[in-house]
Amino acid sequence: MQKGSRLGLLVRQLLLAASAFIVAFPFYWMATSALKTNDEIWQFPPTLWPVSPQWGNYFDAWVEAPFWRYMLNSIIVAGAIVIIQIFNSATMAYALTHMKFRLNNAFTALILVGYMIPSTAVYLPSYMVLSKLGLLDSYTGLILSNCVSVFSIFLIRQAFLQTSHELVEAGQMDGATHLRILWTILVPLTRSSFAVLALITFIEQYNNYFWPMLITKSPELQLISSGLRSFFVEGGAYGLKWPLIMAASAFTIAPLLLLFAFTQKTIMSSVNLTAGVSKG
Amino acid sequence: MKPLQRGENIKAFAFTLPAMVPLTVFWFGPLVYLIYLSFMEWDFMSPDKLFVGIDNYRELFTDSNFHQSVRVSVLFCLGSVIPILVCGLALALLLNRKMKGGGLYRTLMFSPWVTPTVAVSIVWSWIFEPEVGLLNSILGAFGIHGITWLNDPHWALVGILLVTIWKSAGWSMIFYLVAIRNVPSDMLEAAELDGANSWRKFVHITVPLISPTTFFLIVVQVIQALQAYDQINVLTQGGPAGSTRTILYFYYQSAFEAFNIGQASTVSVVLVFGCVLLSIVSFVVGRRTVHYS
Repeated sequence: MQKGSRLGLLVRQLLLAASAFIVAFPFYWMATSALKTNDEIWQFPPTLWPVSPQWGNYFDAWVEAPFWRYMLNSIIVAGAIVIIQIFNSATMAYALTHMKFRLNNAFTALILVGYMIPSTAVYLPSYMVLSKLGLLDSYTGLILSNCVSVFSIFLIRQAFLQTSHELVEAGQMDGATHLRILWTILVPLTRSSFAVLALITFIEQYNNYFWPMLITKSPELQLISSGLRSFFVEGGAYGLKWPLIMAASAFTIAPLLLLFAFTQKTIMSSVNLTAGVSKG
Repeated sequence: MKPLQRGENIKAFAFTLPAMVPLTVFWFGPLVYLIYLSFMEWDFMSPDKLFVGIDNYRELFTDSNFHQSVRVSVLFCLGSVIPILVCGLALALLLNRKMKGGGLYRTLMFSPWVTPTVAVSIVWSWIFEPEVGLLNSILGAFGIHGITWLNDPHWALVGILLVTIWKSAGWSMIFYLVAIRNVPSDMLEAAELDGANSWRKFVHITVPLISPTTFFLIVVQVIQALQAYDQINVLTQGGPAGSTRTILYFYYQSAFEAFNIGQASTVSVVLVFGCVLLSIVSFVVGRRTVHYS
């Protein structure tokens, strides 16, 4: 290593600062464009900081469309999906790793195949299934159709494989039921994997757009992404009210950046776990 | 079968049900139904489906719009996966050494990944605005004028790729950071004693040792690229002139805009087979070439 190479360090710092600037600037641009008047936003060249910041724009955007409802929908749906996935990933992974039964290998193979197939490919027939069940345009349909994830099962399966079998066997000797072993021994031991599952699934589902947009039509059931997109396209907002659109984008993005700020260690540690999934 | 074993079998099945029932109803079942639909002609409304054999497949493979969408998807894969990996690796190399603000940089670079694609695509559509948008203002300062980005068939895909790369480069950076830290330092030191410079150490030691990560990222990013929808939907809706219509977007349009269920199912079946084939190929190639320590 070139120790004490001052020039190298300087170049490194400069390159990093430049990349950080490129990554962060769109966020800054969004937040400050939201503060401009409609006249100022169309000025050329654009101003870096608004002449007279219109803080009211944020409030105007917030009340122009039912954003609180969209956000609540996203939180409820994502939260419910997280809870169900914790449960069904745990039981499925337990059956695959700690129970001997016929079809165990077949199920494992099926999950592997499921991991390779893009979920978007089955949106059309899944849509028909939901429509047959009368679950289109409902919370139930939204939650049930997303309530299992092959990725989550893989993640937990990987974690269970790495825990010692002795603890589980000791539990079995004591006559503990499978459910008891699962919830009192295995889940606490692998809680970091469950934390990753919960965070990644929540973020993914909160941001989910394509599938929820297909199966919800009534505005009061829209998730935040499709709600924002409707605001962008309809309501005369397209191209006319850029400051309000930027304000709406800002408060859509803000909760996630906030969540990330508090949980970054867990989210970024997920890397080791996800990389493990692929080798499973 | 012994009664004890049967009891264990039933219990195990009970444990798999909470996951297997939704998986069957919303995943494997639809997949089979999809293959069935690809042999039918149907408009979603009429009560009867018409069996047309392999006509849908024959039509699809001669459809110039489909050919174009395959080209766009290939370009999308190459144009997103390679820059995401290269930028991720470059950032990881820059951040590898302990330094002031390293943690902050890492957090910042990763942050676009957690944000909703729809929201950031809307922000980028404002940046791409041809008249007063940020990007053209900057390019204008360097004397580059007249790119209309999302309205120009030659540049629209570039715009979408920029958003995609911006969103995922930090994600691959984190994977590379972990991989680079796991490169044993004694190997690097030994090479140094043999007189290897930084570049040679990087090419002959680091790159081979992080190849499992590279391989994993390629597979994941290719599948991501094939499934990209949100940014295309917000920025271009597949246009202009089909220049950003990927296979997936083609499928979406024939299914939910044209209600050509037979054609859409056929596209989807082709996409699924493509992904499975890709996974098998990558598995075989991975076994042969990737260096797992």
